[in-house]
Amino acid sequence: MPSSSYDLAEKAIEEGEKLGAQYIEARYVNSMSNTSILKNGVPELGAIARSNGIGIRVLKDGGVGFASFNEMTKEEMSIAVAFATKMAEATGKRRSKKIVFSDEKIHDVKFEALGESGKRPFEVDPEAKINRLMGIDKLLAELKTNAVIPFRFFQMLDETERKYIITNEGAKIESEIDRLQLFGIVVAVNPTTGSKEQIMIQKGKTGGLESLDYWKIEDFVTKEATKLGKIVTESKEAPTGIIDYVVGPNVIGIMCHENTGHPTEGDRILGREGAQAGESYLKEDMIGQQIGSEHVTIIDDPTIEGSYGYYLYDDEGVKAGPRYLHNKGIFEEMLHNRESAAWMGTNSTAAARAIGFNREPIPRMANTYLAPGTFEYEELFEDVKLGVFMNNFTEWNIDDRRYQSKYVGLEAYLIENGEIKHMVRRPVVETTTPKLWGSVDAVAKEKYLEFDAATCGKGDPMQGAPVYHGGSFMRIRNVEVR
Amino acid sequence: MGNKIDIKNILDLTANKLNSLEFDDFAITANRGNRSQLRFADSQITIAKNWASLELGVFASKDSKTVAVEIQDLSENSIISALESLEKLAKSLPPNQNYFGISDGPFSYPAIEYLADTDFVEFHDRSIDQVEGAINAAEAEGAKRSAGVLAWEVKEEHLLSSKGANVSENSTSYEFSIRSFIDETSSGADVEVGRLFSKVDFERAGTRAGEIAKMAIGGTNGDPGKYNILLEPRVAADVVAATPGAANPFMVDIGMSWLKDKIGEPIGPELVSVYDDALLPNGLGSKSFDEEGHPTGRNVIVEKGILKGFIHNTSTAKKAGTTSTGNAGLVLPQNSNVFFEPGEHTFEELLELTKGKPTLYITNNWYTRFTSYADGIFSSIPRDGMFIIKNGEVSEPVRELRISDTMGNIFKNITALGKEIKQIKSWEVNVPTFIPHVLIEDINISAATK
Repeated sequence: MPSSSYDLAEKAIEEGEKLGAQYIEARYVNSMSNTSILKNGVPELGAIARSNGIGIRVLKDGGVGFASFNEMTKEEMSIAVAFATKMAEATGKRRSKKIVFSDEKIHDVKFEALGESGKRPFEVDPEAKINRLMGIDKLLAELKTNAVIPFRFFQMLDETERKYIITNEGAKIESEIDRLQLFGIVVAVNPTTGSKEQIMIQKGKTGGLESLDYWKIEDFVTKEATKLGKIVTESKEAPTGIIDYVVGPNVIGIMCHENTGHPTEGDRILGREGAQAGESYLKEDMIGQQIGSEHVTIIDDPTIEGSYGYYLYDDEGVKAGPRYLHNKGIFEEMLHNRESAAWMGTNSTAAARAIGFNREPIPRMANTYLAPGTFEYEELFEDVKLGVFMNNFTEWNIDDRRYQSKYVGLEAYLIENGEIKHMVRRPVVETTTPKLWGSVDAVAKEKYLEFDAATCGKGDPMQGAPVYHGGSFMRIRNVEVR
Repeated sequence: MGNKIDIKNILDLTANKLNSLEFDDFAITANRGNRSQLRFADSQITIAKNWASLELGVFASKDSKTVAVEIQDLSENSIISALESLEKLAKSLPPNQNYFGISDGPFSYPAIEYLADTDFVEFHDRSIDQVEGAINAAEAEGAKRSAGVLAWEVKEEHLLSSKGANVSENSTSYEFSIRSFIDETSSGADVEVGRLFSKVDFERAGTRAGEIAKMAIGGTNGDPGKYNILLEPRVAADVVAATPGAANPFMVDIGMSWLKDKIGEPIGPELVSVYDDALLPNGLGSKSFDEEGHPTGRNVIVEKGILKGFIHNTSTAKKAGTTSTGNAGLVLPQNSNVFFEPGEHTFEELLELTKGKPTLYITNNWYTRFTSYADGIFSSIPRDGMFIIKNGEVSEPVRELRISDTMGNIFKNITALGKEIKQIKSWEVNVPTFIPHVLIEDINISAATK
């Protein structure tokens, strides 16, 4: 990293202290990314992005100010520090309840998560990247199924992000992370009936282009598209009434993220996202309450190596570790930054993430998953008389308190007398969060655990955070399907 | 601020380098902005923010290979290095068979009223009072706490192209949203957006948010079924304007639009006409040039219920056998402002029209998600006050219901439009949309099982 940018960040701390900031952090972020966009096999765009800037956050007189700049001059830095300090003071003076940050241990560390040698984003030739992507598309264009696949869109993004965070409390966190993301939309059409079905493919990981091999991406995309073809040509009507569900890692993942990760965010519980992402059905005084069955342990852990939401220290310099959001069905921990933790008289759970130098650090998920249980996969189906096996989902929908949700199945099968039968079309689970987690009576073993990647949206301006979510397989009893 | 980077210098530097690298076409944008924001929750300001930004963007082609770069790292060395990487990238790509060049000059740009407010300078000092005024107005209606955002921006945008465009524009804007709560589930919301700071009235939004919250007290869980729905402009800007928003050839090509092969067909009743209009005074999407440097304009999307056309850039237009509508974005055509022709009815008259039919009045929504974009099958969750209309009057508040239907039905089943139009841009609505209250019949409403 250029030493002049380090110097500018360090000088910002000095200037803030001179202006009376109780707390000041400077976060320098340098990011380089490459994007390839392919539409129905045609390379629509190859793109490069180069970003470089500093974000300043100040706590003074019970108020918080934030300012960022990317013209890397001392003058711009001084203006940003002066604004953040002045506005912290001006807004803090009007507050009856003063903002404070929780006290946390100070760290001076470096960490990194880099791609394999020769496979890092800037080490791989752009031609090799686009050729790989076009190869994936070609497999789909030539795929033999009973359906046609006329709509295909792929976007591959690789990036290297270097970050230097410094605070007037003495924290210094330096990091370098490579990431790879592949996003795709594929639509299959039944040529006879015109019936259509879409799948959104989202893969993400820290690391370089070796991630494509880790995902066995060609096999994965081909299998998913083949299944899509079967859905539009072979699936039958889904059953209704009160039935059991067995759901796969992809469905468990989105449920953990939407029904538990979001409502355990400390800032949502405090109402800080009230006008945007919303609030939470969970309240501070509900810690210790039973939310789900004893089979439901939901963990968010940023430190999983290779994960898309990976970090070891958050953007306030707090050391990360696993957070037990629900433990054996009990609401146990929240996702806190130092501000939300202080409001509740507790410590940060290292959930502060800022997506870019020009964003404030707010509580976010990282890698959220249902802890594996003790069941074999086959055992989950054995005594299901009538049910649906929903392996992945298409639509998901949830209210802003995260209380009532709807999930629509994509690859789904009828279960009858313990056996998996034919495919069923778009089964729906539309129920409340306590009912969902309270109805889980079995979870499969760790050997079945899988993760999916996603970009989680929150904040204003929007901050799209890379996350993982996942699980093994779980069974939900007696869900009413209309 | 003598050390600020000179925009003309970086435009010239970039153009010279692109020429020396022998790119065929290019369009360079350089945008400098200063954006500020006050966020508030629990009726107090939680953070004040300011972003000073300078961003350079380049779209370029060489032998029909299309590439782009966005640079926020603006030292001369970084720019040169990024452009050299861009040339390497262009060499490595196969040709883009969908590319037919960028718009060719000479150009004459339209004049747009009220893009920039010269009185803006004083706004910064008034901002905290403005926010507190809105919070107090909500409290006067009974709100116990309010959350929201006030953001405002001053921006200068420059564009230089290899085909003769050399244009710049200054603008100002503000966006205010407030959501007020009386208890955990009795809430209301409103937004106020525009470009003229002299006309801001955030207290009106606070009052409205508080009023809706008060009306929502005591709401009970609603029953699923078929309803007529009366939508506030905030909701209509999301679920009704989604259909003109899908009139985009790029989205059609990738299976994310339900309007494939529908041009020339009726998609709504005769009372509905919709434009993409970049020339609207005070419109947050108003702009005189697109990202190719092509002049913008007013383009009909839906005329008397018939889908008349899509928005286009030069390449998508050529492929479709038409001309650019001045909606070029970096990759795909982008809407400017979506404008619905107003109807004839006051809000009270719309209420009268619902007599004898089960009708839901929905004041806000969020989280619109699709089972199938190509078929327009979606769900969206109402939030804040939602009410049953009985005998032409907004009566009992209801909760926990979900719109679960198709975008085709939503648009086709429009039965009446209000006469008053409101500009909406919000957390859920990215494209500035001018739209009135909308009454729609026979829509499926679902609910969670307990």
